[in-house]
Amino acid sequence: MRVSSSAARLLLIVALAAGAAGATLSIALAAGAAGKAGKTIAPRAAPAPQPPLVIPPATPPATTPPAPGPGETDETAALPTPSGAAQTLYSAAKADLLQIRMLLRNGRSQSSVGSGFLVGTGNLVLTNYHVVSQMALDPDVYVGEYVDTDGRSGPVELLAVDVLHDLAVVRVDRNGSGFFQVPETPVKLVQGQYLYSLGNPLDLGFAISEGAYNGVVTRSFYEQLIFTGPINSGMSGGPSVTAAGVVAGVNVSKRRDGELVSFLVPVRYAQELLRRAQAQPHPPRSFNPLIGQQLLQHQRALIDRLLAEPLSIRTMGPYQVPVRESQQLRCWGRSNFRAEAEYTLDAVSCAMEAALYVSDTQQTGLVSMTHQVLRSGSLHPLQVAMLASSRFRVDSIGTGRDPRLTRPACAEMFVHTATLPVRAVTCVRAYRKFAGLYNFTLLAASTDDAQASLLSRIDLAGVSYENGLRATRAFLSALGRNRPRPAARPGLPAGAP
Amino acid sequence: MSGPWFVELLARNGDVLQRQRVDRLPIRIGRGYGNDVILDDDYAAASHAVVEPDPAGGLVLRDLGSRNGIVVAGRRAQEAPLSGDTVVRIGHTALRVRAADWPVAPELPDRTFHRWEGGLPGGLGLALAGAGALLVRWLTDTEFFAPARYAEALAGGLAAALLWAGVWACANRLFGRHARLGRHLFVFGCGVTAVLAWALLGGTLGYAFSAEIFTHYGSHVATALLAGMVYFHLCTVRPRNRVRYRWVCGGLAVLGSGLILAGNLQRTGRLSDELYMSVLLPPGARVSPDHGVDEFMRDVEAMQGPLDRSRGRKPGDDEIED
Repeated sequence: MRVSSSAARLLLIVALAAGAAGATLSIALAAGAAGKAGKTIAPRAAPAPQPPLVIPPATPPATTPPAPGPGETDETAALPTPSGAAQTLYSAAKADLLQIRMLLRNGRSQSSVGSGFLVGTGNLVLTNYHVVSQMALDPDVYVGEYVDTDGRSGPVELLAVDVLHDLAVVRVDRNGSGFFQVPETPVKLVQGQYLYSLGNPLDLGFAISEGAYNGVVTRSFYEQLIFTGPINSGMSGGPSVTAAGVVAGVNVSKRRDGELVSFLVPVRYAQELLRRAQAQPHPPRSFNPLIGQQLLQHQRALIDRLLAEPLSIRTMGPYQVPVRESQQLRCWGRSNFRAEAEYTLDAVSCAMEAALYVSDTQQTGLVSMTHQVLRSGSLHPLQVAMLASSRFRVDSIGTGRDPRLTRPACAEMFVHTATLPVRAVTCVRAYRKFAGLYNFTLLAASTDDAQASLLSRIDLAGVSYENGLRATRAFLSALGRNRPRPAARPGLPAGAP
Repeated sequence: MSGPWFVELLARNGDVLQRQRVDRLPIRIGRGYGNDVILDDDYAAASHAVVEPDPAGGLVLRDLGSRNGIVVAGRRAQEAPLSGDTVVRIGHTALRVRAADWPVAPELPDRTFHRWEGGLPGGLGLALAGAGALLVRWLTDTEFFAPARYAEALAGGLAAALLWAGVWACANRLFGRHARLGRHLFVFGCGVTAVLAWALLGGTLGYAFSAEIFTHYGSHVATALLAGMVYFHLCTVRPRNRVRYRWVCGGLAVLGSGLILAGNLQRTGRLSDELYMSVLLPPGARVSPDHGVDEFMRDVEAMQGPLDRSRGRKPGDDEIED
């Protein structure tokens, strides 16, 4: 037992360390993004190699607690009895609970699975966008299917998607019993209140799990509810209901680096989407332009919020760097002060912890920035220059041959901001599927000092060209130096005699 | 044509492996010890052939009834007239016969600098290679000073020089007469110095004048320099074929550049070596002026058109505008 407990502690430390590093802390809204973004519910349940979960039916563990040994206190006596509420809820809800599968048209083998639920007595099913994203993006390749708790299956038809809140509405060939009511008025929840999450975890079978509502998360760009309870891959799109059976939210994601830290989409966004789906006469022919419009809408809000007020300026050594720190954009700092090096490197990087899930290989709609300052009193200027060059070099912006984006186009120039001469590079890639969306990357390196260098990188993923230009200009112009050197006037080469 | 005569056993490339003087005709050739010219060739008969004067005053080689016969220009023959250039194959041995009055080509002018051989150029080449390795180590060294790292770099540089020059010296011994290791070390040292100097100069030019082309396509100059180094190695091996080597090395350089371009295109979809110039140098190296932020943003704005045109194409067909 000691081995396993120390291993668990080690895991915990690793997770915490990863959190402090900032890079892996993003809450992805996504599901299929398994290995990539980190901590989400993958709709892809591993199908085959599951250990047999056999529980001997004769001896339910709760009914025959083992007698306490000498010196032990009987803690099991203090445990609550199994929740009657969950039993009642599940038996009432199971008729309207569905598993949503994405199948390959060719061969009809399943490619990903999630959950969904019939709303009211109609034939509309609410689920997550990421559960049906394959069907929305590539309808020629993927087709949807539902399976109910009795094992019956049928086709699903995609009616509406909301990429920003990760919701989708599909139509099935049967009607609900009326158990899941999506309330017209917002649901009032109290912190600590029990919620019950339903779905089909890991494609093992339908399940209900109990947890507590713990407020609204402010880290993600769009509001989500914190559910302190287990949500697993495959439960995405399932409902989370109160003890009274009112739908409070839709299961969407969890943190892989935490324990029981899960997230729900508030049900009021589902109300809007359901209204839209009912209002439209027929489903859209192609969802790509719709998704593109939603992404454009997201980036407008994102960049407007980013540039709503002047960027806050931080001082790093002799330089001034622009950052934006908010609830959504978290900054982390690091330094090499313990490395055996002849230079000091201080870095601050700010990144949004939530990206928009478009497909299992593409996430977008996020902003990140990194500033590094390296300084040395003992290195030769040429050595400092070589070090700065090697840190300034980026071989490829994103994946080199990414079929979803065009090849990067770059502009490079020696630029003088108000107080600092820099070498500036901007590389832009366009999205092939979504017109009007681009990835902007700004790289800047200061050129004013032989013994110090400021290296900045700003990434804007999934923005319009105007907004990309606007944000790039704002960040570039804000780079500066504390006390302007006599030689560094605009228009003059820095450091020239 | 008068004696004495010389029977020359040849290698495949025409080099004389062995030359034997025979004072009178006929010349008996075979594996047996009773011959004038004894062939250590398992495929030659004990008495294989004989060289006799022919009525016209020349020489003729006649088969003495051997099993494998004599082969001239790929055809088996019973007898073959021998001019001085006729190469006859007997078994696995190629030979020709020349008389003492055979005219030879005039002597070549000797442009080889014979004092620049051996230890002096070898030492200088090693010193250049070692200095290059130390310079690279120093430029990229950002940790606290440790002599072992410099010793490692020096050893690496010297080992590379010895290995490269050693291979060329082997070839030189094989195809020329001497190994000329010193010369090859010198060529290597100069080549490495030139490539290194280009790497620094190209970066400096690019940075100083904001001329990105020097670093975007810098690898092609390095390829040309390496081809030049190979040219000097080849000339050291066989100084006579300079003109041919120029063509060969020019071809090598073009091939290398073509491979680099094709590789870049395949890997990243662009022709240049890098996405942007990443060289940074101390401020004193700058000559070109700074531009305003507005000017830069206009450049960025201008990229939208080409990007939107690329968007409609297949992933492999993006515009190449380097």
